[in-house]
Amino acid sequence: MNAPTLNRRKLLKGLGGIAVGLPILEEMLPGTSYGATKKVAEIPVRAFNVFFGLGIPAPVQPGDFSDVLEPLASLKDQLLILREVDQVRCDRSGMNAHFDGASGAFTATPPDGEAKSGGASMDQLVRRSHYPDGLPDGMVSTLVGGTFFRRSRVGRYVHSYNPDGTVAATIQERPRDLFERVFGKIRGSGEQDERVENLKRSVLDSVVGQYKYYIGPNSPLGTVSKEKFKDHLDRIREYEQRAFALDIDDPRAPSMPPPSELKHGGAADPGGEGIDITLDQLRTEWHLMADLYALAIQMDRARFGSLTFLAAGERIRLKGDYHFNGKLVHQFDDSAQLKASGSKGCSHEWWHKFNEKSSNQQLRAHAHMKMNEVAYFLKRLHEGEECREANGKSILENSMLTISTESGDGRHNDVKRELSGVFHAVTGAGGRFKTGQVLNAKAEGIDLYNTMLSAMSVKERLGPKEHQHVNADTIMA
Amino acid sequence: MKQIPVALPSSVIDRRARNWREFNCFERDIATDIRSISSHMHRVAIAFILSPFSWTLAISQESVFSTDFTAAQKLNYTQKGEVNPRDGEVVLNGGHLVFKTDRDGLIGKMKTSNELSVEVWFKAANLKHKGPARLFTFSKNTSERNFTIGQEGDHIEVRLRTTKTGNNGLPGIAAPKKSLKAERTHLVFTRQRNGEARLYLNGKEVAKQRIEGNFSNWNRDFNLIVGDENGGGRAWRGTVYSLCVVDSALNASEIKTLYDSGPGSLLSSAPPEKPELVKNSNEILFETQVTTILTKHCLECHDSASQKGDLDLSKNLKSHTEDGVIVVGKAADSLLWESVESDEMPKDRDPISDAEKKILKDWLNGGGSWTIDFVDPAIYSRPPDVSPTKAQRLTVTEYVRTIRDTFGVDVETQAREWLPADVRADGFSNTAYNLTIDLEHIEGFSNLAGFVAGKIDPASFAKRFTNKRDLTDKTMIALIDAMGRVVLRGPLSGEETALYRGVSTSVASAGGDFDEAIRFVVEAMLQSPRFIYRLEETPEQGRQLLDDYEMASRLSYVIWGSSPDRKLLELADNGDLNHSGQIKAQAARMLNDPKAIERSLDFASDWLHLDRLSHLQPGKEHFPDWDPALASEMRSETLAFFREVVWKEKLPLSSLLNAPFTFVSPALADHYGIPAPVAGKEGLQRVDLSKVVTRGGILTQGSVLTIGGDEASMVTRGLFVLNDLLRGVIKDPPPCVSTVPVPSEPGKTQRMIAMERVASKSCGACHVRFEPLAYGLERFDGLGAFHEKDHFGNPLRDDGEVLFPGTAEPVAYKQVGELMDLLARSDRVKETLTWKLVQFAVGRPLSAADAESVFSIHHASQEAGGRYEDVISAIVQSDLLRYAFAGNSNPSH
Repeated sequence: MNAPTLNRRKLLKGLGGIAVGLPILEEMLPGTSYGATKKVAEIPVRAFNVFFGLGIPAPVQPGDFSDVLEPLASLKDQLLILREVDQVRCDRSGMNAHFDGASGAFTATPPDGEAKSGGASMDQLVRRSHYPDGLPDGMVSTLVGGTFFRRSRVGRYVHSYNPDGTVAATIQERPRDLFERVFGKIRGSGEQDERVENLKRSVLDSVVGQYKYYIGPNSPLGTVSKEKFKDHLDRIREYEQRAFALDIDDPRAPSMPPPSELKHGGAADPGGEGIDITLDQLRTEWHLMADLYALAIQMDRARFGSLTFLAAGERIRLKGDYHFNGKLVHQFDDSAQLKASGSKGCSHEWWHKFNEKSSNQQLRAHAHMKMNEVAYFLKRLHEGEECREANGKSILENSMLTISTESGDGRHNDVKRELSGVFHAVTGAGGRFKTGQVLNAKAEGIDLYNTMLSAMSVKERLGPKEHQHVNADTIMA
Repeated sequence: MKQIPVALPSSVIDRRARNWREFNCFERDIATDIRSISSHMHRVAIAFILSPFSWTLAISQESVFSTDFTAAQKLNYTQKGEVNPRDGEVVLNGGHLVFKTDRDGLIGKMKTSNELSVEVWFKAANLKHKGPARLFTFSKNTSERNFTIGQEGDHIEVRLRTTKTGNNGLPGIAAPKKSLKAERTHLVFTRQRNGEARLYLNGKEVAKQRIEGNFSNWNRDFNLIVGDENGGGRAWRGTVYSLCVVDSALNASEIKTLYDSGPGSLLSSAPPEKPELVKNSNEILFETQVTTILTKHCLECHDSASQKGDLDLSKNLKSHTEDGVIVVGKAADSLLWESVESDEMPKDRDPISDAEKKILKDWLNGGGSWTIDFVDPAIYSRPPDVSPTKAQRLTVTEYVRTIRDTFGVDVETQAREWLPADVRADGFSNTAYNLTIDLEHIEGFSNLAGFVAGKIDPASFAKRFTNKRDLTDKTMIALIDAMGRVVLRGPLSGEETALYRGVSTSVASAGGDFDEAIRFVVEAMLQSPRFIYRLEETPEQGRQLLDDYEMASRLSYVIWGSSPDRKLLELADNGDLNHSGQIKAQAARMLNDPKAIERSLDFASDWLHLDRLSHLQPGKEHFPDWDPALASEMRSETLAFFREVVWKEKLPLSSLLNAPFTFVSPALADHYGIPAPVAGKEGLQRVDLSKVVTRGGILTQGSVLTIGGDEASMVTRGLFVLNDLLRGVIKDPPPCVSTVPVPSEPGKTQRMIAMERVASKSCGACHVRFEPLAYGLERFDGLGAFHEKDHFGNPLRDDGEVLFPGTAEPVAYKQVGELMDLLARSDRVKETLTWKLVQFAVGRPLSAADAESVFSIHHASQEAGGRYEDVISAIVQSDLLRYAFAGNSNPSH
């Protein structure tokens, strides 16, 4: 990999691989004695869902850790990759394929409307089973984050759901938001107030966005009005600081990450037309997000939740040279290569153009890059001393991380139904699953998920009660 | 504006066609010869003229109906790649041209008309172009444009961005496949303001589609490019013969005529008609500079009232040629110049600067032009420049009404508590420059937004716009667009829709439902600058006709003090508002709405500063029996009186000075010493004053009489009459002069004290202009009660004289009733009432540059009857209301 990283991270390389672009305090290192994060001999139960948008069509997935799965090769022993998985129970005719496919990931049920899933996601059932009275004090009960842009339906980017189908937690889409969720608390607010305050901040974001336009180069206003609006914006910022001042309630918290430079909120998804973005921009933000999320797990501030790298049916026009292990893999330039602009120039067109008989070069390049970025996050939980737990294994090895994509869209053997691509993988979860291989599961997704839950000692099951559960023994260690 | 309807007879077309070669070959830096084509409603907004010597761009700077191109310019363009300009054509062979030129003119016209025609004569090099390849584009990159004409293989595609399309102008309109051949082709794309878009090839319509929305989101920073996309990647190869963009939609027969006439026929080579020169330079120098100098330095002693040395410099100086004060064309021989140059004048005042002296000298040498009746300090003591159009924050009152009319929620109490009060400036509390913003406003607006969002029923509010209740893109984007159009008083741009869509997705991703999303979107919209301010696009130079939505807001805030209603927005949607016929009709409709009454009372309250009464605290030693409730009744009296005169009796505004009735309670009637109203009814009752010679009109009401304070100051009352009724100008008292009121004493009334000041050498020159205006009010004490004697037993008088500004001879009156009649009949008072209403309507102090427009309004409204509704109707039809100004322009031109 030859992607540029934040310079400040280089400072941290000698600290054992917590590659976070933030000042490291002594307390941040494992082994300190702060509250709930005190390192204990008992390995906590953890479950996270890792999602990436636009998966890998089955014919493109190799039977080993090569080709598009090459970036996962160094994590081979920590992963069980599953092929030939059917998701027939998530497929709904008339629904947007990206959307119902994504909603089925980790839930194995079709969505219930555009803002709810059809049922719980795996992480939430594990959480409720193992912590029926709630998590220890000081923890974020569920941490949901992601770097994504397309947002027309919640299921495209949120991947942690309560049993009633509502989102398990508000998604944090900027590194700074995630930081505040983990380490900060809006002054004087309870959890419900905090939710409202967060929404009010999104309101304020839209207001700031408009004032910025009116003082910017495209403003239709005259000089005098622009000056007036600059004053107005200054006041808004002052108000923002006062109204949303944070108390950082963890003395080990790193300093605040820099503001995001990517588009967020409505600007990130202009009517489905897609946005231009460079690989550097995308990776810079994603890495910071992944670093912070991993840090929250390392510091035992989060044990459940989901992390999203690009939304289902994501619409970006990606540009930039993609290197892996020092070699140029591909030069992304979706719009030019598709010879189209707007939504038709976005990378997701490569999925629509997928043809088994073609090389699908661009799709493969995108898939390779995504595997590389998923691996980036997984390594943050595996590499370095700070990831090592009492049993000598890494956080990644001790936790159940399920990795999926828009896999709920149909059958594994029907390529036409798999335009969005599929992918299923799980980590060892403390030696429960048979990692180190790419397995032809030949099973329904719902049975695989329920088998995993069973292995995690969870009694509840996903899907309709009448479903006849078939245990997928082949995945068990 | 001169209207030159030009039909398009075939003979003209023939001539134009013949002239095409000649036209193409002209070699000038400035293409002043370009003329508009055809019918009275079509104007060429921009034209590219190909010649072997240069490319020239012409942009019409004139507005509707004009055919004059006043600002043509040589094109500033960058040639990239292989481009071969030849005689009458340009061959693009992989290269392209980027025009970096003034796009404001083009954008402004398109935004105003919301119509468009693009004509291109071209020949494609092949039928394999992909992308589509950009023949002619006005865009930023491959995904953001205003419009693009492109070739996709064997057919043409057009993308046009409106508020209803994506930034990319999609969905576009495409000609049928195989409709294009690699030969010389005539293409016209038209789009009418009603959304009808058509594509013509070689004179025939080949495609039709609706493209809803308008051009208000067009971006002025995009580039005009021939032959490729901005940034490359969509090269088009072939030959271009002519390009033309018109800010209206040509019809089928016109397009057929153009096709038959050949390339360039949209442009006429008829010689330009020389615009009528309205004013020569000496006249302009007089109006813009000399008048200000005379006002600033001379009129204090040499106006019609003072005439020191028998010299009145406020009137045409050419009457002074015989006595040598001025010698036309010869400053050196003029006594005026001699005394100024030597600093003999102004006497005992700062000398005139060298720059000002030069102006006077140039003016005299240039003929000493004089174009006005008299130099009115009310006009020329103000800066001569036009005030640029500014974003105007809603006043608290406007905010409350806008919320009420948009959401049906009453926030009167909360808004008054949470927002700082608007402070009066230049006589009104809606003066834009003083509508500042502070942290308290931000917090207040935020809290109010949350309050309103919490008060509405989101389901029923949303149902005004859609029956759907889901959070999908399709539903929410349409709903946000529809809501935004009403809440933000005009269509949203794609970017704005995306911002609010972001809010609704945040709600959804936090587990919220449809209703909660509506609440937060409303909360966001209520903090938008588009809600809190009235925004108008301001041209960089000159003036620009407001678009129809801007005009809808101007109409509604001027007439109602609130947001546009459904009818106004519908007319704006149809592009059918900003023309005088519709404005007049709408003004008539709106003036019949009770909201117009509310707004008129805002004006009365502000103009007469009635809020002052809530703080009235007369001294107990003078007024031991004062009942504070009377202050509130006085305020109500004046508002009820105003309402009766303006809305019930529909009398001319000048009747406010002498209408023989008022509204009082028994207590107020007792205080005034007038007949009590009918007993038994609550509240203020109308009483007839036709037999009460001492009362009648606002100047005899307690609300106004109390401005003189406990001592009933002649100075303050006189200044009120001078400033607010006669539009007189008086300088501030010189430093070191005591302005402490002199109390009455036995044997000395306030009038006697005033007369001493008027007679005084040091004070009289100024005080003579205003104190006598208050003599007639002496019998009213500081709280408006009527007395024959003051509290020392001194007898009081109410006779006096009025000196109207600009006149030399005072007019005598015997008692207060006569004074009121004099004022009511005075043209100066009527003019002043118009000025005050205009100032309130535009929300800024008026400048000398506004004078011509205001006089036009005044004359039109007086002809119509001089009533409030006549003045308002004339105001909203005037250029002052219909245009945005850059600040260096003249509202009248």
